[in-house]
Amino acid sequence: MLLHGRARLLTRSIVCARYAHTPAARAPKQDSRWPGWELVVGIEVHAQIKSRRKLFSGERCRRTASLASDLGSTPNTHVSAFDAAFPGTLPRLNPRCVELGVRTAIALNAEVQQRSAFDRKHYFYADLPSGYQITQQYAPIARNGSLRLEQDGLTVRIKQVQLEQDTGKSTFLPRNHITAIDLNRAGMGLMEIVSEPDMRSPEEAGHYVRALQALLRSVGSSDGNMEQGSLRCDVNVSVNRVGGPPGTRCEIKNLNSVKNTTVAIACEAFRQIALLERGVPVTQETRGFDEEKAETYSLRSKEDAPDYRYMPDPNIPPLLLDRNYIDAIRDNMPELPDATRARLLAQGLSQRDVEVLMDVDSGREVGYDGELGRGAVAYFDEVSRGRDPKAVVNWISHELLGQLARRHETFSDNPISVAQMGELIDLVQRGKVTGTSGKMILRHILSTRTGDLPAKIAADLQLVAVSDGGAALEKWCRDAIAALPEEAEVVRCGNVKVVNKIMGHVMKASRGTAKAPDVRALLLKLLQS
Amino acid sequence: MLSRSGSQCSRLSSLIKLSHRDTSFIARNATVNALVAHGDVNGPYPVATSGPLAGLTIAVKDNICTKSLPTTCSSHILENFTSPYDATVVSLISNGGAGVVGKANCDEFGMGSLNMYSMHGPVINPFGASSEIAGSLERRSAGGSSGGSAAAVAAGLCDAALGTDTGGSVRLPASYCGVVGLKPSYGIVSRWGVVSFADSLDCVGVLGKDVSTVRRVHRVIAIYDDRDPTAIPPEVRDTARRVYEDRLAHHRDGHLVGLRIGVPQEYFPTELESSVSESVRRVLSQLQARGAIIVPVSLPSTPYALSAYYVISSAEASSNLARYDGIEFGSRVEPPPGSNLTKTANVYAHTRSQGFGKEVKRRILLGTYALSADAFENYFLQAQKVRNFVKEDFDRIFSAPNPLHRTKSRSSHEGVDVILHPSAMQTAPLLPDCTDRASSASASLDAYVQDVLTVPASLAGLPALSVPAGRGSDGWPIGVSVVGQWGSDELVLRTGEAIEACM
Repeated sequence: MLLHGRARLLTRSIVCARYAHTPAARAPKQDSRWPGWELVVGIEVHAQIKSRRKLFSGERCRRTASLASDLGSTPNTHVSAFDAAFPGTLPRLNPRCVELGVRTAIALNAEVQQRSAFDRKHYFYADLPSGYQITQQYAPIARNGSLRLEQDGLTVRIKQVQLEQDTGKSTFLPRNHITAIDLNRAGMGLMEIVSEPDMRSPEEAGHYVRALQALLRSVGSSDGNMEQGSLRCDVNVSVNRVGGPPGTRCEIKNLNSVKNTTVAIACEAFRQIALLERGVPVTQETRGFDEEKAETYSLRSKEDAPDYRYMPDPNIPPLLLDRNYIDAIRDNMPELPDATRARLLAQGLSQRDVEVLMDVDSGREVGYDGELGRGAVAYFDEVSRGRDPKAVVNWISHELLGQLARRHETFSDNPISVAQMGELIDLVQRGKVTGTSGKMILRHILSTRTGDLPAKIAADLQLVAVSDGGAALEKWCRDAIAALPEEAEVVRCGNVKVVNKIMGHVMKASRGTAKAPDVRALLLKLLQS
Repeated sequence: MLSRSGSQCSRLSSLIKLSHRDTSFIARNATVNALVAHGDVNGPYPVATSGPLAGLTIAVKDNICTKSLPTTCSSHILENFTSPYDATVVSLISNGGAGVVGKANCDEFGMGSLNMYSMHGPVINPFGASSEIAGSLERRSAGGSSGGSAAAVAAGLCDAALGTDTGGSVRLPASYCGVVGLKPSYGIVSRWGVVSFADSLDCVGVLGKDVSTVRRVHRVIAIYDDRDPTAIPPEVRDTARRVYEDRLAHHRDGHLVGLRIGVPQEYFPTELESSVSESVRRVLSQLQARGAIIVPVSLPSTPYALSAYYVISSAEASSNLARYDGIEFGSRVEPPPGSNLTKTANVYAHTRSQGFGKEVKRRILLGTYALSADAFENYFLQAQKVRNFVKEDFDRIFSAPNPLHRTKSRSSHEGVDVILHPSAMQTAPLLPDCTDRASSASASLDAYVQDVLTVPASLAGLPALSVPAGRGSDGWPIGVSVVGQWGSDELVLRTGEAIEACM
C-alpha cells in the first residue's frame, strides 16, 4: 500500500558540510601513476527512471527509442501544463516511480525509509520552468546501502537514494545567439544514487558505474544508458599523501560515459597532485570535463555556490510506505546480476559461458514501469528447463549467437522460439538429426524466419537421420567404395587414413544425415573384412 | 439578475466581450471596480436552469483559472494570460448550473488586506455607495485580498463569489463589505487551478449575501479531487462527517441549547475598536439567550501567529512565484541591449522587476531571505514550530478531536464546539491616498497587524466564517467570525445562521 501521510513533521535542516572527504578505512592502495599519493573518489549517479509517465505530472515520457533516433520526439511535444509550470497546476506523485525507487534501494541493500519527503531546490535556469526542482533533500527514500565490486574485492557504501525531477534541455544555438529549450525531459523521474567516497582509483570508479548500470537494468528501474543521457555521473575527487589526512574534494559534473568518467578522474588526480606538489592548496570547487583536451576546468568556486533555499514542498504530503508494501516489492524482486552469475555457475556452466550469456543479457531492452525484458539469460533458463544446461548453453552461445553475429544481428533479433530451440537440441541430443543437420536447421530458421518446428523442417529438408537398420548407410558406403576404387584399395592395404576421403563421399551422399562414426566403422568393416 | 439587452452593449466595455448587461450593471461595477473581466450569459459559463446551483450568478476571483476568461491575478506579469484549463472549482460551479459573471478584482496574487495592490486599481467598498450615510461617496477599502469578490456580492453584481483565503482574504473583505464569507477547512475544496500564493495555507472560500447561499455553493465545490495532492481523502471526510452528525441533528433550525461557544481572550486586544467589541458582546448575549453556553478560552500562541504566518506565507510565495520568468507564459520584458546576460537570473530580472508590484516584491524578498541557508533555521523552522503550537492550542480547546490526527482521538466535554471573535479590528478603513507615499510603509505594517485575528485559523487549517454583525459607530459593517475544529464546516455554518437570525 502506498500511503500519503498528512502530518508534515519538519526535521531539522541537515547542514551539508562535506567539504573534506572522510573515506572509509582501507589499506592505502599504491598506484604506479601517482606513487606516494592516494586517490579518493565518491560518485553521484543520476539515473532516469524507466516509467511511461513523468514523476509528478502524469504526462507521457519522451520515447527514448534507439540511439539513432536520439533526436527523439519533436521538442516540447511531451509537456503538460504542470511541466511548463503553468499557474494553478499541482504535482501528483507517480506510484510507479516510487516502486522502481524502492526496487533499486532493495537491490542496493539499502534501508527503505517508511517515511520520506519532498523538498524544493530553488535556482533560476531556463530549462527549470517552476524555478525549483522537487527532490528529497532532507528525507530520502532510502539510506545506507552498498554495492559489491567483485573484480576489486570492494564493497562501495551507498549513502542514500533520492527521487527527484529531471530538468528540461537547453541547447545554445551559436548562430542565432539563442538558447533553445526543450521541456520533453522536464519533470521526468530521476533517482539520485549517492555513494560514499569509497573508491581509490579511476578504474574502481568505472567498475562502480558499470556495476550500477547492470543492477539498474536487471531490476528494470532504468536503462542506465550514459550515451543517451539516461544515466549521468558527478564525481567527487580528492587526493592525499599516503597516510596523510583527507584532501579537499572537487566535484566534476555531468560525465556522460564510463570512459570519460575514468579519464576525468585520472586527469583531476594529476591536476590536484601537481598543485599540492607545488605547495598550492586545492580549493573546493565544481568543475567540468573537456573531452577534447582531456582536462577538467573550473565551473564555479565554493564562494559562488548557489544557495538553493531548500524548502519542504507544501504540496506533496510525506511519502509513507508501509512494511507490507516494501515486503511485497522485496518478495518479487528480479534476480540481481550476482545471483544470476552464481546460479548459472552452479548449473555447471563455464565461467566463459556465463560471461557470454550475461554480457548478451545486459544488452536487453529494459521495459517500462518495471516490466522485465526477456534477455539471453531468460532464454537460456527457458530452453534449459528439463535439458542439459551445458548442451543448451553451447547451442546458444556458439551456434545461435555465432550465426546471429554472422548475419549482423543481435540477440534481440533472434527469431528462434524457445520451443524451436528446445526441439532442435532434443533432435540432435537424441540422434534424430546429426549435429551438422542441426546447424543447418538453425540457419534455415534464421534465414526464413519460419515458425515451423525443427522436426518438420528436418523432414521437409530430408535431414532426418535414417533409421532403416543400416540399409541406406550400407548402400551409401558400397556406392562410395565403388566410386572411389583407388582409395578403397589403399585402405585395404592398411592405410586407414584414406578412409576419411571415402567418408566425405558418404556424408555428401547422405546430405549430412549419416553419423560420421557409424560411416567410418561400416567402411572399415567393408574394406577390411 | 442578468438580463439580456442585445449586442449593442458590447462596445461599452473595453475589457472583455460583453453583450448582455444592462447599463446599471456596468455603472455599478464601474463605481466599485469589483469585476475586471466580464463573463457572458451566452458564453462558456452560462446560467443553467437545472442543477444544485441553477439560476445562481457567481463571480470568480481573478487568481482562479478560467479557460474562457483571462486570469491575471491582478498582476502585470499575467496581464494577458488566459489559462489553458478551468480550475476544478470553476468546472464544479459551472456544471452545477451557476453562471460565471466575471473575474473579480483582488490584491496581486492574493497578497494584501485592502485590495489596493492591484493592476486593475483598488476596489471601492460598495457599502458607501448604497448606504444612506454616503451623501458624498466615501472611498473605503473593500478589504483584501478577495475585495472584488466581496464587493461584487455587496453591490448586487452576483449572488455569490469565489475567493481565496490564505490568511484572512475571504473573511476580512466579507467583514468590511457586510457580507458572509467562508474559509473552509484546509484540503476540503480543490486547489487545482487556483494560482498558488502559499500552498499550505491557500483555501478557496465562498462569499454571499447570506449563509444559505454560501452553503449552497460550498457544498457543490467541497468535493474530493485527486488532482490536488493536499485534498483530504474521502474516508477522512466521512470520519469528520460522522463526528458532527449528532451535534448537527441536535442544533437544527437555530436550536442552540448546549452549544458551547468559546471566546478567546487573545482576540480582544486593546487596539480593537470599541464598537466592534460591543457588537460581538451583543451577538454573544443573543446566542446565550437562545441556549448557547459562552465559555472564556485562551489560545496563548495567538500573539506569535502573525509573524509565523508572514514567514511561512512569504517563503512559500517566493517559491511559487519563481515561475513567472517571462518564458513559458505571461508578460516578458526583453533585456535592453547591452544588458548583462551571463546569468539566467539577470535575464529574468527585467521581466520580474517590471511585472510584479511592490507588495509582491516585498514578500518575495522576505520569503527568499527566510529560506536562505543562514536564516532557514531561525525563521522558517521557527515559524513551523509556532504553527504547530497554534494547532495544539486549538486542539486543546475544541471538544471534538481533530480528524487529521488519528492518534489523539479523544473527545472532551470540557471543550468548546466553536469559538467566536471579531473578524477585524475595525470597520472598513479609508483607502489610502495613492499619492501619499510617506505613509505607505507604516500603512503596510498596519495592514499586516490587521491580519492578527484571521491568521491563526489559516495556520491551523480550520473552517472560519465571517458573518455581518451590525454596524460600527461610523455606521459601517462589522463582522464576527466563527471558527470550528477541522471538518466542522457545517457546524460553523449553522452557528453563522444563528447569528444571522439574531441580527
